[in-house]
Amino acid sequence: MDNSFLAYIQKLEAMAFFSGYALVYTVILSILGNRRLKGKLSDRIVSFLPISYGLIGILFLGFQLRKLYPDYSFEHIHFTFQQPFLIIWGLLSFAFLAPVLYKRPLFSLLHSCLFFYFVASDLFKQATTPLADTNIVKNDMRVLAASVILNIAVPCLITILFLGFNYIKKHKSLIPKKQGSSTLF
Amino acid sequence: MKPFNKILMIALLLISGVGLVVSCTHKNDPLPASVSTAIKISHGKHIHLAGITLGDTTQWKFDKVHSAVNWSSPFLEVGADLTGKFNQFGVADLKDALMQNYNTTKQPVPDTSWAFYENEPAKTHFAGYIQTNQVNTGEPGRDGGCLITTFGTTKIVAGTQNLTVANVAHIKTTSVVFDPLSNGYIATFDFTWQGGGSAPVTQSISGKLTYVPETLVPGATYSDFGLKLEFQINKADFGVNNTEVADKVNIVVNANFNNK
Repeated sequence: MDNSFLAYIQKLEAMAFFSGYALVYTVILSILGNRRLKGKLSDRIVSFLPISYGLIGILFLGFQLRKLYPDYSFEHIHFTFQQPFLIIWGLLSFAFLAPVLYKRPLFSLLHSCLFFYFVASDLFKQATTPLADTNIVKNDMRVLAASVILNIAVPCLITILFLGFNYIKKHKSLIPKKQGSSTLF
Repeated sequence: MKPFNKILMIALLLISGVGLVVSCTHKNDPLPASVSTAIKISHGKHIHLAGITLGDTTQWKFDKVHSAVNWSSPFLEVGADLTGKFNQFGVADLKDALMQNYNTTKQPVPDTSWAFYENEPAKTHFAGYIQTNQVNTGEPGRDGGCLITTFGTTKIVAGTQNLTVANVAHIKTTSVVFDPLSNGYIATFDFTWQGGGSAPVTQSISGKLTYVPETLVPGATYSDFGLKLEFQINKADFGVNNTEVADKVNIVVNANFNNK
């Protein structure tokens, strides 16, 4: 097993986190951009997309830290990360948790497009090179499928939490406070 | 923004779709039917007819030198098999007139009482005999001694082929049919042997007949084919009541024929 194989595995790992976002983003935007569905909630869901992308970045960080555990020395990091630029690019997705960037969802789309580019380039190589290994495209598609599921699940979770908090908030305001209840404790 | 998003979505879906088709593993396709483990029964169209004219390749001659009649039975009815063979035998229908002593060391009667039709077993027939005093278990004291008494016959006379009633066991087919469970045949025949009794006993017995197809002998100009007959007799039915071997005796006849 040489370093190129490890580098390939790390590329697949990064793709598993981020490559599906572009597809999910464009499809959700296309569906919720429909006039009939347009409303406060749909706008809110669209606005959750970059935040969910940032949260996936946190999951990616956790995954990398777990791989490094228990040795977080520079030598170990240098030895473990065969695709340092790709990992740094992936970790940059944290930035979409910042208000400056999550209000500009197009940047998250562009960030994710790099990972989708790997899928497209492998597919192109497969189509143009007769002797290309079909297993590469098979791996890409499995990873893309997993990534799509992850990128659907995270915004769904955020939306459910948002609706849940909203519901509690609304109902809390309708419950009359008992007089003198605060003095009991 | 809107047209850009739509175009990008279509492009991404298209790429993903193509990728999905290319990477299809066809795991959901029904598996091809498993290989049948049943015995494949197929019968060719070989026809072999007997003859004695040397050089005539349409006539098939019994190759006695390369054939054998073997028997086996558990020693003392409980042990491992005791085995033996008969040194003199032939493929001839022994009619009463032929059952006599012959002053020859060669085959006393022509080995022509047979015909084999691979695909028409009803036409297949054969008859054959063994000389019981020619039993060979590899122990001269036994072969020329107690077995002669057991078989109710007389010792070998040098230069004589003894085909008398007391010294032969012979068979003659009554029917040959395809074996439904194998590529072979079921042969039913009359087995006649005097054994330890005072007169010959005839019993109808069935055995398995296997055909070893005709093949050109490597490096030669003639062909060879084989017939193997396996059956079982109960020696007690023929008046042989010793306990040296079990009553059930297995007999295997390996007969080779060529068209030299």
